[in-house]
Amino acid sequence: MVNKTNPENPIPENPIIKNATCTFCGCVCDDVDLTVDTEAKRIIKAKGACAIGKAWFLEHGVEDRPQALIDGCHASMDEAVEEASQILANAHYPLIYGLSDTTTEAQRQVVGIADIIGGTIDTTSSVCHGPSGMAFQGVGESTATLGEIKNRADLVIFWGANPAESHPRHFARYSVTPKGRDIPNRKKDRTIVMVDVRRTPSTKASDIFLQVKHGSDFEVLWTLRALVRGRKVDPAIEARCGVPLAELEDLAERMKKCRYGVMFFGMGLTMTRGRHFNTSALMSLGTDLNKHTHFVVIAMRGHGNVTGADSVLSWQTGYPFGVNFSLGYPRFNPGEFTSVDLLSRGEADAAMIVASDPASNMPKAAIERLQNIPVIALDPKTTATTKLARVSFTTAPYGISTGGTVYRMDNVPIPLRKALDSPFPSDETVIRAIRKRVTELTADREPITGDLSAKVPA
Amino acid sequence: MVLDLKLRTQLDIPLEAGIISPDRLAGLTESEIARVPLIHGNRKKSLGDFFDISGTCDGEIRLVGDFTKVKSVGSGMTGGRIIIEGNSGMHLGCAMSGGEIAVEGDAGDWTGAEMSGGRIVIKGNAGHMVGGAYRGGHMGLQGGEIIVHGNTGNEAGNSMRNGLIVIMGNSGDFTGANMFSGTIIVFGELGIRTGASMKRGSIISMRHADLLPTFTYSCFYHPSFLRLYLRRLRDMGISIDDAQIEGGYHRWCGDSMELNRGEVLLFSGSPGS
Ligand code: SF4
Repeated sequence: MVNKTNPENPIPENPIIKNATCTFCGCVCDDVDLTVDTEAKRIIKAKGACAIGKAWFLEHGVEDRPQALIDGCHASMDEAVEEASQILANAHYPLIYGLSDTTTEAQRQVVGIADIIGGTIDTTSSVCHGPSGMAFQGVGESTATLGEIKNRADLVIFWGANPAESHPRHFARYSVTPKGRDIPNRKKDRTIVMVDVRRTPSTKASDIFLQVKHGSDFEVLWTLRALVRGRKVDPAIEARCGVPLAELEDLAERMKKCRYGVMFFGMGLTMTRGRHFNTSALMSLGTDLNKHTHFVVIAMRGHGNVTGADSVLSWQTGYPFGVNFSLGYPRFNPGEFTSVDLLSRGEADAAMIVASDPASNMPKAAIERLQNIPVIALDPKTTATTKLARVSFTTAPYGISTGGTVYRMDNVPIPLRKALDSPFPSDETVIRAIRKRVTELTADREPITGDLSAKVPA
Repeated sequence: MVLDLKLRTQLDIPLEAGIISPDRLAGLTESEIARVPLIHGNRKKSLGDFFDISGTCDGEIRLVGDFTKVKSVGSGMTGGRIIIEGNSGMHLGCAMSGGEIAVEGDAGDWTGAEMSGGRIVIKGNAGHMVGGAYRGGHMGLQGGEIIVHGNTGNEAGNSMRNGLIVIMGNSGDFTGANMFSGTIIVFGELGIRTGASMKRGSIISMRHADLLPTFTYSCFYHPSFLRLYLRRLRDMGISIDDAQIEGGYHRWCGDSMELNRGEVLLFSGSPGS
C-alpha cells in the first residue's frame, strides 16, 4: 500500500517500528514492535510489550492540547518560555523536581538550569530509591547488568518488590524463566526467593517465600548478616521478624553456597522504617557474601528513566538527588534539600516540575506549598501538577515521539526510537530554550563565591 | 558587651548564617556588623537586612526571634557564647570546637553535627542527626557536650567519635548508629535499632530497650564511670535520681557486625537487683 496523498514518495501506510523501546518501567524493554496508524496518529499495536507497556504505547496519541498555557490561557511557546524564565531567574530558592520520565539529554540541560539559577534539583528518587543512593555512598554496592544475571545467577532474591505488577517482563527477560548461558534449564536451575510483608502476585513465582513482619526488614537483614558470618542468633528473633530462625539459617546457607546470587530490592525496603539503613544493610550483606561466593545487588527502579536521572545528576554534580546550588557549588543533604522537605517547610519559592506529577502524590503540606508558589510544568498530558501550574508546556512523550537515551535499572543506556510525529516540542527543546533565556536574565547577578567570613565590605 | 541580634522579618527562605558566631563578629562596630554578608536563598545580603543590631560582641551574642530558618548559627565557633531566645535552625553549632550555645526553644536537624568541642544546651526538642556526621562524612561528634532537655529525632550521635550526648526525653531510631566511641545517655525511651554498626562507645538508657540480634548480654554491674557522668550532670542542674547513680545496669555488647566493643547499658531499677 502506498500513501495516497503523496504518490511520489510512497511510505507504507501502517509502518512498523522494529525494536522500539518501552519507557514505562525500569526494565526498559527494547524489543517492542510498534504498528502505527498514521492517519489516526496513534500506535495501534505494541507487539512484545506487557499489558502495562501496551497501555502506555496505545494511550499516547497526538493530543489536542494547547502548546502552552500561562495562568490557564493559551500562550505561544515564546511567551511561555519568557514567563518561565522570569519566574526561575527571579526566585530566591527555586526547586526543580521530577526528571524520571524524560530523556537523559533533557535531564542534563535541566541540571544546567539548576546551576545557573542557584536552585535545588531533585528527582523522584527522593521519594522512591533515594535511600539506595545514600547506601551506595555509605557502604558501596557490588552490582552487575541484567544480562549477566540472566546468564549466571542461580539464586535470585526479591526483597520488598513485586515485579509481577511493577515490572511485568522482568521474570521472563532476566530473572526467572529465561535460558541463560550457565542456566540452561531455565527456572529449574534457579532458586527464586521472595521476602515481603505480604503475598503479592509475584509470590507464586518463588520457590521460597519469607513473610516478614511489617517494619522488621532491618532485623532480618541483620540476622542474615550475623548468620553468614557464622554467629549464633537467639531464636527469639522469630517474635520480632515473624520468620523462624531455621528458615533464615537455611537462606543464609543457600546464599553462601550458590554460584552467583543476586538481591533485587524494591520500595518495600527503601520506603519503610529504617530507609537508608535498610538498603545499607542489604548492600552490606551483599558485600559480606562476596567472601563466600559472587553476590550482587540491584535496585528495582520504577519509572522509565529514573536511573538516568540519578546517573546524570551524579556525573554532573557528584550526587544522585537532592542537590542544592544556592551557594554556587553543589551540596547534597537528604532531609534538607529533598523536595518533600523543602516544600513542606514552605521554603521553595518557585518550582519547575519536569515530567512528574507531585501534585497528585506528595504529602499534603508539600502540595499546599506548590499551590502557593509559581510552578512551571512540562508534561505530555494534563495532570494535577499541570493544572496548578502558572506556566505549563505540552511536550512530546519520550520514546514515542522523541528519540534520546534512557538508562535501564542496571545503568545500561538504551536508545529510544521515535514512532509518531508530534506537533509538540520535546522536553529537551523547551528546556534548552528556558536555559538560554535564564542565562541571559541572570548574567549580571552577583556570583556567590569567595570569602563569606566577616570581612566587612568597604 | 553583649551583641543583640533581633530577627526583624518572618522568613520563608532560609538564611545561611554561619557568620553569626563570636569568632566572626567580635570587635566589629554596629554599622560594620550590619554590612557583614550572609546568604538569603541564592542571593548575597547583609546582616542589617534582616536583623536589628545593638551592642558589640566581646564574646557573647544574644539572638531574639524565631531562628528556625536561620541555618548554621555558630558553625565552626571556637569560643564565646551564643544564646538563642527562641527556636534555632539546622546545623546549629556544626563543626564548632569551643564555646557554648544555649537554646531556649527547639533545635533543628544536624545540631552539633561533626563538632569537636564546646557545649550545646537545648531546652526544647532537637531534630535528627544531633551530633551526627554529614552524609558521606566519616565522623560525627568528636568532642564536647550536647544536652537536649526534650526529645531528639533519629540517628543521634551517628558515627560519633568522642564526647557526650545527653537526651533527657526520648531518642529516635538508630541512636548511636555507626558510633566509634563516646557516650550517649538517654533518660526517656530509646527508639529501635540502637547502636546498629557501633564499634566502640557507650549508650546508656534509663528504660528497658529491645536490642538488635547482634548484641549479646554480658553482665550486670555498677559502672563507676557512669556515677561520675551523672554527678556532673546533676551539678549542671539536671535532676538525676540517686537510684540512677547508685543503681545497677545490664550490659549488652555489640555490634558484632563490627568490632563488638561497644556497650549498651540498661538501668535495672534498683541498686541491688
Ligand atoms: S516490562 Fe516495563 S519496559 Fe517492558 S514492556 Fe512492560 S512496562 Fe514496558
